[in-house]
Amino acid sequence: MIEIEFDSSWQESFVERIEKDGPWASWEMYQLALEAAEHLLIPEFDGLQAPKHLPHLTPLPHQLEVAKQVVEQMNGKAILADEVGLGKTIEAGLILKEYMIRGLVKKVLILVPASLVSQWAMELNEKFFIPAVPQKKSYVWEQCDVVVSSIDTAKRNPHRDIIYEQQYDMVIIDEAHKLKNNKTKNYEFVQNLKKKFCLLLTATPIQNRIEEIFHLVSLLKPGHLGNATYFAETYGKERSLQTDEHLKALVNKVMIRNRRANTGIEWSKRHVETVMIDFSKEERELYEAVQMLKSNGAMLNSQFSLITMLREACSSREALFFTLKNMINKYEGNIPSYFQALMEKINAVTANSKAEKALELIRRIDDKVIIFTEYRATQLYLQWFLQQNGISSVPFRGGFKRGKKDWMKELFKNRVQVLIATEAGGEGINLQFCHHVINYDLPWNPMRLEQRIGRVHRLGQTKDVHIYNFAVRNTVEEHILKLLYDKIRLFERVVGELDDILTKMNMNNLENYLHDIFFHSHNEREMQIKMENLTSMIDLADQLTKGEHYAAK
Amino acid sequence: MQQNDIQQFLKRYFQTNDCSIVEETDGHLTVQLSVELDKELMNRPFYWHYIERTGGTPAPMKLTLITKQNEQTRSLTGERLHFGSPRLHQIFQSAQRRGSYIRLYEQAQAIGPSSIPLHPWLGLNMRISYQCDRKKDQFLSLGLHLISGAIVEQFHEKLQRLALTPKIPDYCFTISPIIKPSSGIGRLEQYVKRIIDQDDHTWAEEAIARWQEDKALLDHFYEDIAEKPECYYIEEEALEEQYKPKITVSIINGGLFYLQPRTA
Repeated sequence: MIEIEFDSSWQESFVERIEKDGPWASWEMYQLALEAAEHLLIPEFDGLQAPKHLPHLTPLPHQLEVAKQVVEQMNGKAILADEVGLGKTIEAGLILKEYMIRGLVKKVLILVPASLVSQWAMELNEKFFIPAVPQKKSYVWEQCDVVVSSIDTAKRNPHRDIIYEQQYDMVIIDEAHKLKNNKTKNYEFVQNLKKKFCLLLTATPIQNRIEEIFHLVSLLKPGHLGNATYFAETYGKERSLQTDEHLKALVNKVMIRNRRANTGIEWSKRHVETVMIDFSKEERELYEAVQMLKSNGAMLNSQFSLITMLREACSSREALFFTLKNMINKYEGNIPSYFQALMEKINAVTANSKAEKALELIRRIDDKVIIFTEYRATQLYLQWFLQQNGISSVPFRGGFKRGKKDWMKELFKNRVQVLIATEAGGEGINLQFCHHVINYDLPWNPMRLEQRIGRVHRLGQTKDVHIYNFAVRNTVEEHILKLLYDKIRLFERVVGELDDILTKMNMNNLENYLHDIFFHSHNEREMQIKMENLTSMIDLADQLTKGEHYAAK
Repeated sequence: MQQNDIQQFLKRYFQTNDCSIVEETDGHLTVQLSVELDKELMNRPFYWHYIERTGGTPAPMKLTLITKQNEQTRSLTGERLHFGSPRLHQIFQSAQRRGSYIRLYEQAQAIGPSSIPLHPWLGLNMRISYQCDRKKDQFLSLGLHLISGAIVEQFHEKLQRLALTPKIPDYCFTISPIIKPSSGIGRLEQYVKRIIDQDDHTWAEEAIARWQEDKALLDHFYEDIAEKPECYYIEEEALEEQYKPKITVSIINGGLFYLQPRTA
């Protein structure tokens, strides 16, 4: 009835050894071999083996539950759609590990956004002991069992053809909502991949239209929601996932979505404090001088430069000097006079009001502090300035090699009070032992701000986190702070919420949008109106997201 | 596998492979590797190639393995081992490679002047894997009397109660097998097959039902399309690989055992 396969590889060598009278193992070695094999036996179809292989990893209850459900009830094909910040990567890692331990999966293809390739590979290696390799050379496809690549690389030839020749046991796709449109090349590429076991990861399974979930599910399990004609007739265009219980039940058979609110995890609180700073007379003059360049349209070829310089002026004169110097070098001796004027204003500044405020705050906190700044020159200056005042610190940059990052983290943990970082980066450094974050200057991209805070405020943080946002009065900084703080209420939100909202708005380029507002507004009033518009768009998206949450419960 | 068991296992593994234990506490082990194990475990082929080419004195490494985190081991530099760590699995594999084949004799005490006959047995330790989209293993240890053809279960357990030695003991002689070892393997396979046939195979029926269900959905998905696209066939194949029940029998280790005839 069922196919039985006898593995004959042992036998051949046995017969050979009988003929040659050996070599034979010792009785002890023989027993050790058997013990090793017995330890690796899988005793049951049900349950998870992975946790006992990963004693250093403590998955959260909902993550273990997801893994169990995917293996036991969903046959290894699922959409993992937890909200941001609940650890979908951990869930995927657990599931993959489970199948590898059981010997059901050997060859694995993991498709993730380009910026996350190395992070995925690192996490699988470090947390799960899965030898995942980032795809860099084309021989990797054939020679390595677990390969991480971006979908954009994978879908192009010669890679595409090589990939189709491989026999993958499992395919994992991160940010799978990018496959919502069945007319795209990405969709077609994934559709033609053989998917024995398959995990699709997305925090936003439906962004706009109900068809999106149809396409996503059809990629995973074609026919589960019927075919295209049937789906259109039955669920139509007007219906939504929330209103149709039957459709919802069907989708839930292949999709798991945990929400922050019902994971039962206690998030520690965020205390946010705005620290307003007043420029000294010299600093103000310097800032105004930069602002004057705006009317001097000829010299700056991009709005970007001007706004950058304004922001730098708010950070440190060193940051501004560095940019200016680079610009001057381009003029090859033929330096316009206003640069000279600016240089003089820079020289006139003798103290940094912000840095002094930071010093005062650090002394008051009397505990570990992370300072984030956008500029390397500011980073260097701050390190020097704190040193002058008897406070030791270590720098941290996205560009550091892994080993150096770990070393700096160790120093910060055990020896010095302050870490000065220029890049929060998605590089997976966890600094949960620290509870104070100073945003020395604010990034304009809210997601980057979220990432910064996420370094300390994440699952597992037991203490409340204090965030201090610095802004200089009557500058671009104050505007931005007002937008992020008062309007978007960024700091009050739980991790990941903003992500949902921005995705909903298709507003991944909020930063460019802000640049535009600042540069092209002719006066304060116009700027305010534009900011109001932006705020109401965000509010709308916010309500939509909340409505969806409510309905899906 | 508990941390204590891991340390015991490691100690026995290294000792039986001619490595000396340099240091040992409850929680860690430092071993001086033999040349052979250094080559097998430490992954430094260039070093060994160099030593062999230049005729240099080989210096196999010392390896510190930490199984428990405690006061003594906190300051140690070494590899921290637990059940899932790649190093332990490497050693598991090495152990399985090194302990695959065996031939032993029972240490029989001669009473009186006559010498003792030792009967040949074929002993196999086997793993039966039941696999569909899920998997389970079963362990089976069988012994086959290579003269009468009698089959004994839990054979390994029985062997563990005997005194066994790699050399034929004094005053003992072996009786030649009537059944050749290779056909003996065949007989044991048949026996395993009979055991499997009598098993409960609900798991397989359920897998086939899941398979058919998904296949029906797939057919429905493409039913409006006259000529099925390639991805239909890819998906069809994927379903077969995912669900098709299969049983694999593999031999973990085994060998020849010459034992005293006994009545029980």
